[in-house]
Amino acid sequence: MKKTAPLVLGIAVGLYACAEFYIPDWHVRWLTQELQTWGTILAAFAYILGGVNLIQVNYPKIRRRERDWQYKIVMVVAAGMMLAAGLKWHKLYQSGEAGTVAIADDHGGAAAAGKATIVIDAPADVMVKVGALPAQPARDAAGKPATFVVDAGKVPVRVYNRIAGYRDYDATLEVAPAKIATVSVDPAMLWGTKGRVYNWLYDHVFAPCNATMFALLAFFVVSAAFRAFRMRNVEATLLLGAAIIVMLAAAPIGAWISDDLVDLGQWILDIPNNAGRRAIMMGAAIGAIATSLRIVLGLERSHLGAD
Amino acid sequence: MAKAHWTERLQRFDRRWLFLVMGLAIIVPLIFPLGLPIKPGPMTKAAYNAVEELQPGDVALISLDLDPASTPELEPFYRAVVLQLKRKHVKIVVTTTWYQAPPLVERWIREAIEQPLAPTYPGYDGAPDGAYKKNVDYVYLGFREGREATILRMGADLRQTFDGRADDGTPFDKIPMMTGIKQLKDFKLLVDVSAGYPGAKEYVQYVQSRYGLHMIVSTTAVSLTDLTPYYQTGQLDGLVGGLAAAAQYEKLVGVTGTATAGADVLNAGHGVVILAIVLGNLVFFAGRRARKRGAA
Repeated sequence: MKKTAPLVLGIAVGLYACAEFYIPDWHVRWLTQELQTWGTILAAFAYILGGVNLIQVNYPKIRRRERDWQYKIVMVVAAGMMLAAGLKWHKLYQSGEAGTVAIADDHGGAAAAGKATIVIDAPADVMVKVGALPAQPARDAAGKPATFVVDAGKVPVRVYNRIAGYRDYDATLEVAPAKIATVSVDPAMLWGTKGRVYNWLYDHVFAPCNATMFALLAFFVVSAAFRAFRMRNVEATLLLGAAIIVMLAAAPIGAWISDDLVDLGQWILDIPNNAGRRAIMMGAAIGAIATSLRIVLGLERSHLGAD
Repeated sequence: MAKAHWTERLQRFDRRWLFLVMGLAIIVPLIFPLGLPIKPGPMTKAAYNAVEELQPGDVALISLDLDPASTPELEPFYRAVVLQLKRKHVKIVVTTTWYQAPPLVERWIREAIEQPLAPTYPGYDGAPDGAYKKNVDYVYLGFREGREATILRMGADLRQTFDGRADDGTPFDKIPMMTGIKQLKDFKLLVDVSAGYPGAKEYVQYVQSRYGLHMIVSTTAVSLTDLTPYYQTGQLDGLVGGLAAAAQYEKLVGVTGTATAGADVLNAGHGVVILAIVLGNLVFFAGRRARKRGAA
């Protein structure tokens, strides 16, 4: 039963996944979408499994002080920090509106002209956008709050921090003539994946590390090109010649040397490369179909475990 | 002890000298640009033409399937294509299938879609673009985990995939530009800015052929050879591969961006790699000849 039930389930779902492609009925479509939703939920659970696995693999190595155990501490702590930064802690203490609006009578020039006034009371590093007017800082150089004279009626107001991770104030105010609407906003810091801490870690730790790893490739490629790329036989010579032509054709210098070089580079890409790629892709696809069929038909059982 | 032959010394020399040469090849052209002419290739032109065929009010989907590592190669195309879409008044829907992408994508939306792009390009004299308004001119769908499964679901039912809401929680029914958008085939064009898996290949394999989508792709240079078969079969309407093609795209759009500046780096960088190959082979064969002579 321990093996038979997953096997039967796998066969049923596998056969269904093949068959649904050819059955244009809404019941089938509904069931397919339901299965795809399950698939997405299962994929999300893989993150939890990954987190547990991270601890299971690394904690014993740290405890035993195995080789490079210090790096494993960095990894586990970094994972923990990103997890903590990704949770929406602000939900515990923030509630209500992002800002408040106070309406008062206006006795100034704007009122005489039948207009309304909107005053934004917000910190200086915050940006304000009122109606179709361009965005501007919430305070001028003298520290005075931004003031807008607008036509009475509905006016969209957006108050936001220049940097990501803070709560925006985004509302449509209904202002009457000869009134002053004072909008008081102090964008609160958010947590979670849209929060300040998560964004800071992403921008200042993850992005530079990620980019550095990729950028290092250029240096290793040039080192490998000098030490390993040898014309030892005909095949290696052909590969080397093609690589040089494609590299030249892929940069503007290729067209500068000769248009024929660019055409030759494109020909290599279009004809020999595509022929080879197609062979690999079709071979891999046929292999995948064969493996899938073995699973669907119950011939391949290694995924069910050893016992 | 006999002095080592010059070829042996060269084969064993400190590779940090090579790193230094490569570093200079990257930095010097950025400071002193060569400004060699950029000539758009057929695949890049095809991508540009696919966007040009869109009409004002059409809705295009941009899937940003990337991480910060691929930003230098892919961001120039993204900015150029967004400028092209905005000046044609095409509505934009943005999503991503990469879990590493959302903060980057959100910044790119703020910088390129919510702000006019044209003034950021020095010397740009084409049509201006405007600032797009969230849920009016553009919609951000956010990220959904599931990779191919998510792409499949988007193909069948976009609304169910994103629970009928944009990333900020606004129901699709309250966003006029989403009227009539039920699944991927309802977009006039799918623009995939793809750095790998899941990305362009999965879109082609799981939804493009099945639903007959019009699709263009911008990808990194290393992924280009993987995707050219799909362009040749007509499954992709256009293909922009690597920084050089992004520079070509910038030229077609009429802007001088970071890809155009980076094209000079490619000239020098590729030159250094080719020289390293040639020099490495010269040293190798000269050394082999010297060893044979010594043995004789």
